[in-house]
Amino acid sequence: MAVVDRGASGQGSSFSVIVNDERYRSIFYQIIVFAAVMWVGWYLFSNTSQNLEERGMSAGFGFLSSTAGFSISFSIIPYEAGDSYLWVYLVGITNTLLLSFLAIVATTLLGFFIGILRLSKNWMVAQLASWYVEILRNTPLLLQILFWYLAVFAILPRPKNSLDVLGLEVFQLNNRGFYFPAPLPGDLFWLTMVTLLVSVIVAYCIAVWAKKRQNATGQRFPAFWTAVGIIIGVPLLMFLVTGSPLQWEIPVLKGFNFSGGSSVPPAFLAVFIALVIYHACFIAEMVRAGILSVSHGQTEASYSLGLKPGLTLRLVIIPQAMRAIVPPLISNWMNVVKNSSLAIAVGFPDLVAVFMQTSLNQSGHAIEIVAMVMFFYMTVSLSISAALNYYNKLVQLKER
Amino acid sequence: MTHLDASSSDVSFQPKPSLPPPPNTVGAIGWVRKNLFSSPLNAFLTFVSLYVIWVVVSNTFEWAIVNAVWEANSRRECLDKVGLSGACWAGVSHWMKNFIYGRYPDEEIWRVNLGFGILILWMLPFWLPRVTSKITIGASAILIAPFLLGHLFAGGEKGLFLQVMISVAITSFIFSWLHTLLCIATGKPLWTTIVTASGFAAKPDATHKYPVLAVFLAVFIGAFIYQSGWEITAQSTNLWGGLFVTLVISGIGIAVSLPAGIILALGRRSKMPVIRVVCVAFIELFRSVPLITVLFMAVTMVPLFLPAEINPVKIVQAIIAVCIFSSAYMAETVRGGLQAISKGQYEAAQALGLSYWKMMSLIVMPQALKMMIPNIVGSFIGLLKDTTLVSIVGLYDLLLMLKAVSQNPQWNGIHTEPLVFGAALYFVLCFIMSKYSQHLERTLGAGAAGR
Repeated sequence: MAVVDRGASGQGSSFSVIVNDERYRSIFYQIIVFAAVMWVGWYLFSNTSQNLEERGMSAGFGFLSSTAGFSISFSIIPYEAGDSYLWVYLVGITNTLLLSFLAIVATTLLGFFIGILRLSKNWMVAQLASWYVEILRNTPLLLQILFWYLAVFAILPRPKNSLDVLGLEVFQLNNRGFYFPAPLPGDLFWLTMVTLLVSVIVAYCIAVWAKKRQNATGQRFPAFWTAVGIIIGVPLLMFLVTGSPLQWEIPVLKGFNFSGGSSVPPAFLAVFIALVIYHACFIAEMVRAGILSVSHGQTEASYSLGLKPGLTLRLVIIPQAMRAIVPPLISNWMNVVKNSSLAIAVGFPDLVAVFMQTSLNQSGHAIEIVAMVMFFYMTVSLSISAALNYYNKLVQLKER
Repeated sequence: MTHLDASSSDVSFQPKPSLPPPPNTVGAIGWVRKNLFSSPLNAFLTFVSLYVIWVVVSNTFEWAIVNAVWEANSRRECLDKVGLSGACWAGVSHWMKNFIYGRYPDEEIWRVNLGFGILILWMLPFWLPRVTSKITIGASAILIAPFLLGHLFAGGEKGLFLQVMISVAITSFIFSWLHTLLCIATGKPLWTTIVTASGFAAKPDATHKYPVLAVFLAVFIGAFIYQSGWEITAQSTNLWGGLFVTLVISGIGIAVSLPAGIILALGRRSKMPVIRVVCVAFIELFRSVPLITVLFMAVTMVPLFLPAEINPVKIVQAIIAVCIFSSAYMAETVRGGLQAISKGQYEAAQALGLSYWKMMSLIVMPQALKMMIPNIVGSFIGLLKDTTLVSIVGLYDLLLMLKAVSQNPQWNGIHTEPLVFGAALYFVLCFIMSKYSQHLERTLGAGAAGR
């Protein structure tokens, strides 16, 4: 390839100078891209405003204060058909967050359990776990949700013949949903909650102090068991002293359905179970890869220092494995939040279902509603990745 | 023991042959002891696993095989025979054609089969030995084949542009297979064979392209005349459905997302701020929202964005959404590969005087893509699974077809069997893809193991 002396000589047309000279070329390309983006934006904007005009619609967020005339089958904040669209947005957000939060907790526990089973020295157990992972992660989540909803929860008995989960006559499962007792706090229950909060803070301070003392003097202090004692014992004492001010409202069969207590609809259960089972596969793989990524030399070194297997696991392997597990784990949690939007397929009123489908169909404000829904998911996503970056900084190898 | 005399020099130390290992540590018994019953806890776990396997397998076997009904004309017949204790596979086999082709008319189904047959044949040289220019063949399958296949599937009137593209597609198909056969038979590519046969071999290199172009033109004209006689009826995309639509959407998604993802990833690492900001904004926006919101956006906002006279059909809107979404994900996968390439490679390429695009296409991308094969195939699998979401916006893909069976009065309420069948189908497709990627990883030495 011939080496061309670029730049200094002003030969050739001005256009070839712009394209061939590195100094101008990048500015030239950027201007082109910028102009293209601007043109696309203008094109879309002008089309949209023209289309809106033809349909006699107005853009803007004014519709948020008008009344949404539909009812929502499940909400954890009070909602009535006469509330505003803004309130519908909040109902959707709380439902999405509730579903995602519960699913994240459960799927993490199940995922760690399966991941550890996959590493079991027992061949049969490892095979069982690996087939669980292979089968469930190669099947679409939406299909699994529909399966749980249509093939499992739809054929449950009617309320009259409810399945009595655990046999305590307290948890009831039927084709209307899952019924469980609701807590009814009494007058002085806030005292117990305050005590609980204070004891958690105290336990945390003790743990910090114990660690500092161990670093300084080498003396150990059973901080863990002390913390357990304080967090459970002191609030319990307060609870008993104030006269057990908490009652449970147990669901009872009245007529055709249960009343009292709390309940979640079958759609919630179907999405929850499918999310937990599906995402646990991915978490199991992360846990397995993370534990395998800690080299065997670490274990041997730790044994040769005289640490027992339990301590080796707790002090050497798990901290290093967590460094590999946590970043993909958190992005998997993000996927749980995003996939909870599939609840729309079985009619659970999450954000996408109540706002992007029902509200959009009724009010017709497509652009505003799509923007608001995307804004919510982006906020969640950006805050999760901010937390992830903070964690990465925290656990980064500190090379000296 | 007669030679205890130490002075005899011809006797040296003779060790006894070592004993065989204890019989219970080798062979099948040893394996079982080591892997299944090494401790009381392990023995207990083995029995628990055996119990779980037995419960799952025996119940499934009984439901799916022993008690199953294979032939019936309605769900009522199945229920009368076995109730809910056996599967009603008749409900699946009765609708099999719809699961695969949707509501495509029976007498036109050959077009779908022909289209996918052509595509498979087109891609086949990839797996044949001794064939050169595989990249060109693959690129022609991705860029040119869709015109031919699209016309086969949709049919109807074809304008001049479409006629030209269909002829180009036929010509490329003939050329790539001629090339493949020649490579296998003689080991020489088509280009050289044409040049030698036309007697241009002795002339300057620059003139070699003329005979090749002449042959191309001749075949092209033949193809043009041939295809102008075609008359196939128009089939509305509303009739498309089932596995056919699933494969069309995910196929286009795969074909678009890889090049688009590469360009976005390069843009994200570009030194030019405007380009970088545009790419980062695109990637981060579409990666942080669920696919279903992108689909709703495409369905509700695309009609607003476009001039009133253009009215895109639903499947096009869904394809746009799937392509946008998967490109953003693919960009991050490719970026991971780009970041894993050491700086020395870039510097060496620049020191050789390669331009940016040559450096990327000859040095960096081949290494980065090879390293990311497992992740890229993982994205493809994710894409195939994600296409089920188009059923939520009302496209009759495989999943919605499976679900729709239960609304037929005769098969009212049959949910489990179609869904189980669909799950098995998706599982087979995804499992084959993931096993193939592991195979590629081993043969190419890609992935983390190759480094």
